[in-house]
Amino acid sequence: MKNEYFPYPAVIEDIKTETTDTKTFRVWFTDKVLADSFDYQQGQFMELSVPGAGEAPISISSSPSRKGFLEFTIRAAGKVTKSIHMLKKGDYIYLRGPYGNSFPFEDIKGKNLYFVVGGIGLAPLRSLINLVMDNRNNFRHIKVLYGARTPDDLCFKDELEQWKKIPDTEVWLTVDKPSAGWGGRVGVVTELWKETHINPENAVSIVCGPPIMIKFAADKLQESGFKDKDIFMTLERYMKCGIGKCGHCNIDDKFICKDGPVFTYEQKKGFRHKEHIF
Amino acid sequence: MRGKGGKDMKASKVKIIGKKKIKDLLREASQEWNVYVPQKWSDGDVWMDQLPKDKQMLDEALEDVVLEDVDTVISPKDIFFPQLESIFKFKDDKIWETPEFSPKLIFGVQPCDLKGILFSDDFYRRNFEDRYYVSRIQNRLIVARGCLRPPRPTCFCSSAKTGPFAEDGFDLQLVDFGDSYFVEVGTREGEEFITMHKKFFSEPDGNYDMTIKEIKTKACDSLELKVDFQNALSLMAQDSFIPEENYRRIGERCIYCGGCLYVCPTCTCFNVFDNVKDKEGERVRNWDACVFEGYTRETSGHNPRKDKWLRTARRYEHKLKFDYKVTGLSGCIACGRCLSSCPVGIGISKFIQEITEKRKIM
Ligand SMILES: Cc1cc2nc3c(=O)[nH]c(=O)nc-3n(C[C@H](O)[C@H](O)[C@H](O)COP(=O)(O)OP(=O)(O)OC[C@H]3O[C@@H](n4cnc5c(N)ncnc54)[C@H](O)[C@@H]3O)c2cc1C
Ligand code: SF4
Ligand code: SF4
Ligand code: FES
Repeated sequence: MKNEYFPYPAVIEDIKTETTDTKTFRVWFTDKVLADSFDYQQGQFMELSVPGAGEAPISISSSPSRKGFLEFTIRAAGKVTKSIHMLKKGDYIYLRGPYGNSFPFEDIKGKNLYFVVGGIGLAPLRSLINLVMDNRNNFRHIKVLYGARTPDDLCFKDELEQWKKIPDTEVWLTVDKPSAGWGGRVGVVTELWKETHINPENAVSIVCGPPIMIKFAADKLQESGFKDKDIFMTLERYMKCGIGKCGHCNIDDKFICKDGPVFTYEQKKGFRHKEHIF
Repeated sequence: MRGKGGKDMKASKVKIIGKKKIKDLLREASQEWNVYVPQKWSDGDVWMDQLPKDKQMLDEALEDVVLEDVDTVISPKDIFFPQLESIFKFKDDKIWETPEFSPKLIFGVQPCDLKGILFSDDFYRRNFEDRYYVSRIQNRLIVARGCLRPPRPTCFCSSAKTGPFAEDGFDLQLVDFGDSYFVEVGTREGEEFITMHKKFFSEPDGNYDMTIKEIKTKACDSLELKVDFQNALSLMAQDSFIPEENYRRIGERCIYCGGCLYVCPTCTCFNVFDNVKDKEGERVRNWDACVFEGYTRETSGHNPRKDKWLRTARRYEHKLKFDYKVTGLSGCIACGRCLSSCPVGIGISKFIQEITEKRKIM
């Protein structure tokens, strides 16, 4: 019988600073058998442990198309995430998973894609975006609409620049609060609707970010003519186990950790207290 | 036929045991099993506790064993899902698992609690399987004990058909008959237990089937609290039948102490955290409850169930709507403990009365 609660050691191979409070950790398992058999899907998360501090669910931010390592992009928010930030290259971190469902991939081939992202929400979406970029010919026009609190809160700055250079790919950035030297747009992510055309024709949209941003973005997409089943979003819930047992992430008969975190707007509208999901 | 517990269910057989022999049976059984049986504490409360192994302590504990009109404060769920349990330990770069799988004889389980145990077994076995719970139940024998009279005035098992006697799911079931018990055999494991300890058991004589039937009917009639359970489940299954206002009213009265969920046989929620002492640490889990504000509060401070009434709704809808939707069984097994433990008089039976009788009683 496999013990799903038991984590496995991985070594930190590289650490990249994204913003003042966010770092990307590149890690890989020390056990060769595990490393060889490990597989995951875009949008899944893992439970990361620092023994003594505890455990936290963190999305895999690397793409399954790029093998031999895992990346996690983590904001130092509380006890566990701050302890992870104290770790150095060569240190161990303990992992279990991957858990949860995934962003659609096969089903959205041949479509125009709209990624609507807020803050650290780009971490899980980056997994899908890079998977799409590695299979770029299978997709049509792509727009990434990304908003952050301040210019410093924009993650993956290098990659944002790289994506822009790919044909038929647009990246639109905006910040709530500009800082000195920011020449770009100011305003919440839905303000971008004024600047760029949002066309639901043969398109799907995938939204990820803080709950309030998801709510506004999803409503806006619906207004723009997107069908409920073509709006994908992640639902956020406090999680303690990741495997449908501790109860914390429950909504109705679903566990967000196991049946989610990715849902369509249509599914969200089916919940019993749908007005109180976010 | 395979029973719920994955054991072989055989056509029921019946033995008989004198009440006076129970202590000796438990003494003998405790050599092979960790025996859990209701014991009365000096303050009068009854707990389903483990019998000590030490001979003198065992003799003393056996004096406190009670099997009649027993109202154990909490359900026996903590034998398999302890209030606090270690899931692994760590020191330096080593970590090791700490599952528990001792043989357990659970003696004197109320039929409603038996339903609760089987319900939780099913939940923890479902993908992903919970290693700790499942290892604790691996080697388990359940001796149920039917209730002649409801031990709590809040019991309503006859309405939910979860008692006062079990129809299946037990290895053995005691049927109280004056100064002895009829012992119904539910599984091959139950039968083997009797064979192992055959000196305590004898064959019943006369028309015992009739006698047992009469005892059970009388027990059923002794339950005064009756609710329209099946109707409540059908009403809850309709999507938005229960007005928000009902939850808001109950939610205003609730003080969110969590008591009802700790005593509930089918509440399975837990929290997880790490403890460290002198470099050696352990990860532990402990009971948690959806009525607590912190249950859904995220690190950012954002809480999707900040409004109290949403937590009240969760509690009733989990038991009476979503459990039923997923498993075809109600998550409430009608033990009545929530009402008897609630400091402000809230309970599932009252909730059921409110929605089926369409009147305010809370
Ligand atoms: C599916 C998913 C994916 C995520 N992906 C990412 C990601 O890619 N990057 C990222 O930065 N963040 C991500 N998060 C958020 C991240 O999990 C949290 O920021 C993190 O759990 C915070 O833990 P902490 O220990 O740092 O915070 P703290 O708030 O300090 O928590 C400390 C510990 O206290 C306990 N605790 C805290 N609050 C409570 C409470 N209310 N009740 C009981 N116990 C409590 C917990 O055991 C917790 O581990 C994700 C969350 C989810 C659900
Ligand atoms: S969600 Fe609430 S009612 Fe359901 S098992 Fe957990 S604590 Fe009990
Ligand atoms: S025991 Fe009563 S007051 Fe306490 S949480 Fe349950 S319903 Fe609320
Ligand atoms: S995180 Fe424990 S049930 Fe989903």
